[in-house]
Amino acid sequence: MTRFRWLSSDDWVPMTTHRWPHQSTKLVWLALLLLVLAAAVAQRPAAAALRVVSMNPSLTRMLIALDAQKTLVGVDEFSAQTEPAIAHLPRVGGLFNPSLEAVVALQPDVVVVVPSVAQRDFRDRLRQFGIDVLELPNITLDQVLDSIRELGARIDRVGVAKTRVAEIRRAFRDMGRHAGEGKRPSAILVLQRDPLYVAGAGSFLDEMLRAAGVENAAGRFSDPYPRVGIEWLIAAAPDIIIDSAKDPVPAALHWSRWPSIPAVADSRVYAVPAGNVTLPGPYLDRSLRILFDAIYPSAQTPAVDPSALP
Amino acid sequence: MKPLTAARTLSVLFVLFAVAVAAAAIGLVAGPSGLGWGEIVSVLAGEADPGPASDIVLRVRLPRVILGALVGASLAVAGVLFQALLRNPLADPYVLGVSGGAALGAIAVLSLGSAIGLGYAAVPPAAFAGALATTGLLYAISGVQGRVSATGLLLTGVVFNAFASAAIVFLASVAGLTEGTSIFLWLIGSLSAGRLEVAGWVAGFLALGLAVAMPLARGLNLSALGEEAAQQLGVDIDRQRRIVLGAASLMVGAAVSVAGLIGFVGLIIPHLLRLLVGPDHRLLIPAAALGGAAFLVVCDAVARTLLDGRELPVGAITALAGGPLFLWLLRRHHHRAFGS
Repeated sequence: MTRFRWLSSDDWVPMTTHRWPHQSTKLVWLALLLLVLAAAVAQRPAAAALRVVSMNPSLTRMLIALDAQKTLVGVDEFSAQTEPAIAHLPRVGGLFNPSLEAVVALQPDVVVVVPSVAQRDFRDRLRQFGIDVLELPNITLDQVLDSIRELGARIDRVGVAKTRVAEIRRAFRDMGRHAGEGKRPSAILVLQRDPLYVAGAGSFLDEMLRAAGVENAAGRFSDPYPRVGIEWLIAAAPDIIIDSAKDPVPAALHWSRWPSIPAVADSRVYAVPAGNVTLPGPYLDRSLRILFDAIYPSAQTPAVDPSALP
Repeated sequence: MKPLTAARTLSVLFVLFAVAVAAAAIGLVAGPSGLGWGEIVSVLAGEADPGPASDIVLRVRLPRVILGALVGASLAVAGVLFQALLRNPLADPYVLGVSGGAALGAIAVLSLGSAIGLGYAAVPPAAFAGALATTGLLYAISGVQGRVSATGLLLTGVVFNAFASAAIVFLASVAGLTEGTSIFLWLIGSLSAGRLEVAGWVAGFLALGLAVAMPLARGLNLSALGEEAAQQLGVDIDRQRRIVLGAASLMVGAAVSVAGLIGFVGLIIPHLLRLLVGPDHRLLIPAAALGGAAFLVVCDAVARTLLDGRELPVGAITALAGGPLFLWLLRRHHHRAFGS
């Protein structure tokens, strides 16, 4: 019964037995106590009270970019793989297998997710536990920017979020000017080679291609990320292929099998790092510049070293 | 059903061959890029200059038609052989777990391969290795005491398939998002990786399978009477079972390793042709080869064209088209046999 020993009345000391020796000493002690308390409150970081779990790498990167890394108490598997800075945090599963128990155990104030059918039940269950679930879509450019703003508002980083969004907007405007006038070359942004997935209309990547001064040859597909056949790609005859597929075979070598595609014939197949360009995250301005530099190797734009990206 | 004569065999096979040729023509003409007949014919005749049209016809559509025909034929023949071997109408090329082994090999590479520098090119060899290992397992486990029993085979296959599915689910849950998509699509089956190099590989095993199975056709017919009856009529059931198991497993392994788990072809085409040409394996085996080839080539043409540029997994089409087609034929057959 030792576990319940603290319940026994022997442990209670009646308050009345305490007597302060002098009234003035009592006041000094009280003042000191108040001082210590006040110092503790002042030093406590404002956001420390908020505990956030991120279920998506793009949202995780946004949180880090908004200087709110300390609020993160748990992340999904893919975030842990793509963001070394938070790889030590507890992991709570992936898109298809999120662990309700792991999230609830972390006692978060808010769980940030990208809305998906795969996690519908998961979101409902979290809400039943009284946990705030913030759904932030990331298909179109406007959605990504709104997500940055909304996330900023929720974690008390309104100013940083506003600056980030403004910088992305400015990059899209500036790049449009750099890209110049005249007939735009057609391009295809390859996300995966086999099966073949490309960026279609309606995704932020489509808007990035347009800002970089090219016509998205897959813009006729309303899906953001359609699966297409190689025959369609050959017939579409793009002037440029931008390949962001994760594959050990280099892009130029892979596409050299199809010399009748203008992009291959003119050696305009460009490889871009997937994580930095195709992630709908907080650095779309830099992603856009990487894309632009890949498309126009000789153009004079502010250079960005892809490896320098967070 | 009329008795099998040389004339009837030849005429049935000729008709099915014509159907397969028509299917190949559909496969060459259908596609999202809208090439005209004239262009296609001039490319095939070797009169066209190298360019998009010749790339599309000779390097996209033709390899897919050839690969589709070979995979369809392999799956349908393997289906006939497994149904005869196990004397079970529900048997299909995947029932004995060969597909599970192949899938496990392929998905191990798809989910973990990028971490160790293996690309998509490593998937077919890994799948075939998985199929071979499973075939070895089938022989080792069900062949104890020198006999390969049908029940033993079936149980081993079902249990191994369950094990493989569990392992695949495990691998899929630790894989990344893009790898997950590849796994999902591989499991439905697709001919999009079709290249002539891999077609030769499937053709070799199909030829081997047919060469081994055709001489056993009479024995397989007798086995339908029951094992004891067949043995009394001079069939070495055990030897036949070992040979058929090996031949069918190799065909399935080769087909699955290049095209993933395309369903329904190996189950429906054998039954469909049994309804049309009768149960005699001397005709049924080559008929299934031609019928399976034609069916898969047409399904693949639909998968490539239906969504105008976007591609569907052919396995979805075979299931959607094959199921109703089979039920319609079964109903018609019943009407004919029993009246309505």
